[in-house]
Amino acid sequence: MSTYLAETRYPLDLTPEMPDVWALWQRAKTLEWDPETDIPWHELHPERYPEAQIMAARLHWSRRTWGEYGAIAESPALLLRFCLENRRPDLRFFFTMRTQEEGRHAEASWLMAERLGGYFPQPQNPPTVSAVGTHGVRRMAFDPDTSLEGIFASLVCAAEEILIDAFKATVHKATNPAVRRLMELILRDEVRHIAFGWQCLDAWAPSFTPETVQNIERAVTQMIQNVEFNGYRNLWLAIEGGSATPLEIDADRVACEAGLGGTTPEDEMRIVPQFIQKIRARMTPWGVKLPLFDHPKLGKV
Amino acid sequence: MSETSDQLLRGFQAQEKRFLERRFPLRFAPESPALRELYSQAKGLRWNPETDIAWSRFDPFAYAPAVREAARLVWSRRAWGTYPGLAENTALLIRFCLESGAAGMDAKLFLSFRPAEEAKHLEACLLFATRLGGYESTPSHAALARTSNQPFAQMALDPDLPVEAVVAALGCLDDQLDLNLCLGHLQHSRDETARQILRLAAGDKQRHVLFAWTLLAQRLPRLDGNGRAAVADTARDVLERVILAGYRNTWLLPREAREPLLAAEALTAEHGLGASTEAQEQAIVRATVAQVRERLAVWDIALPHVDHPELGRV
Repeated sequence: MSTYLAETRYPLDLTPEMPDVWALWQRAKTLEWDPETDIPWHELHPERYPEAQIMAARLHWSRRTWGEYGAIAESPALLLRFCLENRRPDLRFFFTMRTQEEGRHAEASWLMAERLGGYFPQPQNPPTVSAVGTHGVRRMAFDPDTSLEGIFASLVCAAEEILIDAFKATVHKATNPAVRRLMELILRDEVRHIAFGWQCLDAWAPSFTPETVQNIERAVTQMIQNVEFNGYRNLWLAIEGGSATPLEIDADRVACEAGLGGTTPEDEMRIVPQFIQKIRARMTPWGVKLPLFDHPKLGKV
Repeated sequence: MSETSDQLLRGFQAQEKRFLERRFPLRFAPESPALRELYSQAKGLRWNPETDIAWSRFDPFAYAPAVREAARLVWSRRAWGTYPGLAENTALLIRFCLESGAAGMDAKLFLSFRPAEEAKHLEACLLFATRLGGYESTPSHAALARTSNQPFAQMALDPDLPVEAVVAALGCLDDQLDLNLCLGHLQHSRDETARQILRLAAGDKQRHVLFAWTLLAQRLPRLDGNGRAAVADTARDVLERVILAGYRNTWLLPREAREPLLAAEALTAEHGLGASTEAQEQAIVRATVAQVRERLAVWDIALPHVDHPELGRV
């Protein structure tokens, strides 16, 4: 092991320094749940839905599974970075729980697809090895030239925030009790994840340099243009057609209209502009100016 | 960011780039019922250091100041030994993900839980040390700081090292020793709070060790000769240069680095506050190494003996 470098570990401060973040860690421990036992699976009744709706819901929940998997395959790299950089203990404690929760979301989404009739392990036209369908957070986390603030802003305050805005805006449409309960439980965890991101950035904001601000602007812009508008979360939003099939693109709408999760294009037309307006206003006090984004379906947002 | 952390991050970056991740097909169905069961148990047996330990019943003033001071040092040291589990297991999770989306989901789900379990153990150590008079953030001797700071996360992400070698060295050897020591401390503890912490932590550690042995049992038979040699070499390396250098046992540190911790452990053990005597720990170390060697031998992996100036041949 002599070829490895030793990190600067001591002093190993463990005493909480960010009370709001510490409270999130404490709260996360009291709100653990188990996808196997805490969802009323007996109320799912897939046999009551037409085949086309079930297919759409299976596609929707499979796609969600792939997205949640990114949070166990990629964003845990941030915890390694917190440890190497001796970031505040609150961050390190909380992020362990976040990884656990994302694993639970992946498992729960997979179970939902399975119990609706079967999980799809890949898109109908799978991406090549070089384009694995990732938001790229692991690469960013391991890149010392990418600031932590930029990663937080793009991953937590952009990518996760829009996910949750879509959940919040549509959870009432999930008329199926098992689907609704699952969405509520995921939502409950994700609200903490987002609060974590905003609390950290608010706490760090007084020390932002012009370079930090530019880094945040660049990272958030890229996340919106290259990930969100590329259909990472919702294929209907993909600016370029990509390799998704019409069945996959329409799956969210069909599943949503059946009360089985997902969003309709009308929902997206409302949610995405509101989301962008919200984070633009929220980041303004830090000196961050997000540009206007052009989207062929949403217009200028 | 310091120069060291910058270098370390670039090291992770270089390691990560050497993997070619194939995310799809992304399979979730259980491949290993035993590993999936361990994951299910982790979900079902969760606990919270804040609320599941009867802190209100712990009276630190029932112990003399010297005893409290000793126990505070012991539980601080235990925190230093627990902390690496956050990064090591996160790195191992990322390693499994980098290797394939198609295989190993049971291990990934299990490992997605483990850093939080380590964080709970860490919090329990912190809370107990705080109640005993205060957590100590820095080892008193440079040798202890050096020995307790091992680059295991880098090892877990090293593409030149088979993942089986990492699991054998860290899971089957080091985690097994950690579990056996924890059970030893529990056996010799009389204080109710110390016993609660050790019992709850031991339940998790038992799963961690079972995970390592189960995973190895599944993967070792498929490993080629070079991979098997790497397993034996890595386990021997960790045994000789880490464990027998005092990673978990103060009496194995260089003589000049042992005090005041060694005396603190003796006093803590005497008062039943969650430690073992040197003699008791020696027996555990010997038994653990013998146990690990026997189990590895089942797969024709020979863990070489190591000569130690005080322990002799282990």
